[in-house]
Amino acid sequence: MTPTEWAIVALALVGAFFGGVAAVGIVRLPDVYTRAHAASKSDTLGAVLTISAAALALQTDLSTIKAVFLLAFMFLTNPTAAHAIARAAQDQGIEPWTAGDEEGER
Amino acid sequence: MSGEDRPGLYVESTIIMTTVRVVAPFVLTFALFVMFHGANSPGGGFQGGVIAGSVIMMLAFAYGIDSTREWVDVRVVATLASGGVLLFAAIGLGTILLGGNFLEYHLYERFISHATAYGIELVELGIGGIVASVVIGLFFLLAAGYGHAVDTPEAEE
Repeated sequence: MTPTEWAIVALALVGAFFGGVAAVGIVRLPDVYTRAHAASKSDTLGAVLTISAAALALQTDLSTIKAVFLLAFMFLTNPTAAHAIARAAQDQGIEPWTAGDEEGER
Repeated sequence: MSGEDRPGLYVESTIIMTTVRVVAPFVLTFALFVMFHGANSPGGGFQGGVIAGSVIMMLAFAYGIDSTREWVDVRVVATLASGGVLLFAAIGLGTILLGGNFLEYHLYERFISHATAYGIELVELGIGGIVASVVIGLFFLLAAGYGHAVDTPEAEE
């Protein structure tokens, strides 16, 4: 395997790992704010790494440019969406989960 | 916490407004790109229309539903929907007037060259207009339904 292929495999695997971390975070974490935190950070990184693996794999194709555009907009919009969700939750008066709440809100 | 005091009052967020302002032109361009690529690649009027309609939703998320509703006149949305239907019907029925079948584009070849391509793209634009305006209208209706449910008892009291 060439170094480029190793890089593609590594990027895709790390991206899939971060996607899995985001999924675990959404299932396991107690309230909307912590879930938005898990979804925005890990999911953005996972998607961006996976897309960059795709961009590398497509090589000097027009699709590479499209993948890079997708990557840039992913970085821009995903955290903003999470911010909007957390902001709306705060606007609705949802209390953040704290260490005192043993039960949490499942 | 203004949401608890007065439902419907919305405070803008600089982050969301800036992102929407940067992204919205690209989203509209992408919507047209998808619409025009419907003829020979994945995409088409339906998908492009939904993307174009989502721009209005983004604006509503950033600037609040009330100011968006003021900015986008419902009559414009209704005109876009019926205009799309009329465009589709005019292109389709025009070929019948020329003695062919419904949407038999190549009969327009006597007026312009590449008539099939232009015909498909115009029909896609019509479909895109219909879908975008219906999506916007449904979004406005959904947003209004909650507001009315909250407002109506207060108005009667």
